[in-house]
Amino acid sequence: MITVLFFGPVADRVGERQIDVPFREGMCWQDVRDELTPRYPEAFALVSIAAVNGERVRDDVRTPLADGAEIVFMSRFSGG
Amino acid sequence: MNDAVRLQLEDFSQDEEVRALRAGSMRMGGIATFLGCARDFSEGREVCEIGFDAYRPMALAELQKLRTEAIERFGLIEARIVHRLGTVRAGDNIVFIATGAEHRAPALEACRWLIDELKERVPIWKKEITPSGEAWVTPHP
Repeated sequence: MITVLFFGPVADRVGERQIDVPFREGMCWQDVRDELTPRYPEAFALVSIAAVNGERVRDDVRTPLADGAEIVFMSRFSGG
Repeated sequence: MNDAVRLQLEDFSQDEEVRALRAGSMRMGGIATFLGCARDFSEGREVCEIGFDAYRPMALAELQKLRTEAIERFGLIEARIVHRLGTVRAGDNIVFIATGAEHRAPALEACRWLIDELKERVPIWKKEITPSGEAWVTPHP
């Protein structure tokens, strides 16, 4: 299972802070994004940053996920 | 004393943070600080409170990386960063950064660099709570 977390404005638009997505061999974080975007279009319109297991990831790099990975889809930060 | 980098619900003491910054060395000739506070007015609206949400493990790790990078990049002797989470009222403290160096220039430059980088790199989001509703803040310079 892949754990997907949401925070701040993205969580508000999803209506959840966590969603579990079934793991498939070879899947990348971009596949999870592509799967969730049609379900939560308003939330994913805000998403510009993603992290896998706490590390920021680049859109142009595809690395297969391990079962149990944690993905976070985030909007631009506004702390400070 | 508390860790040099922290995320916490409670308020902090600037005096205690500066005291902790200075505790490890008497070679500091310049100390710069930045204090971010909650404004009671934003985008033409009265603001009563600000709520913070964070991806805590990554936020803390990023803050620790920022401190290490600042120390190396500006040759600091020490640096501390504290950011509050939860809900703060208008006028309350939000974030405190303190940098200590042998001379003032690197301390001042590092302090400015740290708050600018924090806003770009640390996964924290703020929501303004007004008498007429709540709204997440859109980042601006």
